[in-house]
Amino acid sequence: MSELDDLVARIQAQMDLDAQTEYDVLSEIRDHLEEAVAQARAAGLDDGEALLQAASRFGLEEEIGRQLQAAHQGWGTADAVMAAALPVVGALILRWLAFAPNGTALGWPQLLSRPAFWIVALVALLVPLLKFERWRYALATWVLFWGLTVLFVTLPALRW
Amino acid sequence: MALREQMRKGTTNVMILNLLADLDRPMYGYEIIQELEARSQGYFQFKEGLIYPRLHEMERQGWLQAAWQGTEGSRRRKFYTITASGRRRLDREIQGWQAFAKNVNRMLGVETAS
Repeated sequence: MSELDDLVARIQAQMDLDAQTEYDVLSEIRDHLEEAVAQARAAGLDDGEALLQAASRFGLEEEIGRQLQAAHQGWGTADAVMAAALPVVGALILRWLAFAPNGTALGWPQLLSRPAFWIVALVALLVPLLKFERWRYALATWVLFWGLTVLFVTLPALRW
Repeated sequence: MALREQMRKGTTNVMILNLLADLDRPMYGYEIIQELEARSQGYFQFKEGLIYPRLHEMERQGWLQAAWQGTEGSRRRKFYTITASGRRRLDREIQGWQAFAKNVNRMLGVETAS
């Protein structure tokens, strides 16, 4: 482990965030430190001096880690509500799209020919990607969307 | 020195918002701190790492919008821009600062240009 890795690890030790947020925060910090070290080298310092200067200017890792943790605590509350609500709302809209007023389920040709269906499909994919920037969540939502679609079309008796 | 440090801490957010509004382009953390230090002409000493909690908090508040550039495996860099909400916040902070400075100056008997 390089000294820069060690510094980033000490900051990480102060945080307890979800994996993606922590990865993003540490990526940003690493990028900062790498640029600071590169600039110090360009100014004539050797590798060790450059790292020392970058670490010194960056500040105490314990304090920074604590403040980052504080800045992100509660970050997920509003997002979590929206993230949980999105599949539910999507499923309700999908149900509305997949069933005719008389209660019979539309077949694949009719369903796939409805522009609204594709709009909902796009929303189910793009909102998680653009709003949450979590591709795994977007993928999960997308899989759920198509799973429900298959269920609604192939098993109309599941109407609820 | 302690007063200066307290003032810097209390005004870091507004200085970041002002910088992003002034330059009106996406900036990343290292770039922001370098520009702030250049503008302060050495008067304020910033601990560079402490800018990130501020940036993330303001992003959370909706005053800044952030976007990653670059891909996994290559250099990924997070760029910040000020939002309309951030600009309104900046206006309020500047008005608050002007009122604060005016009243402190008045109480200290310090004359100002305005």
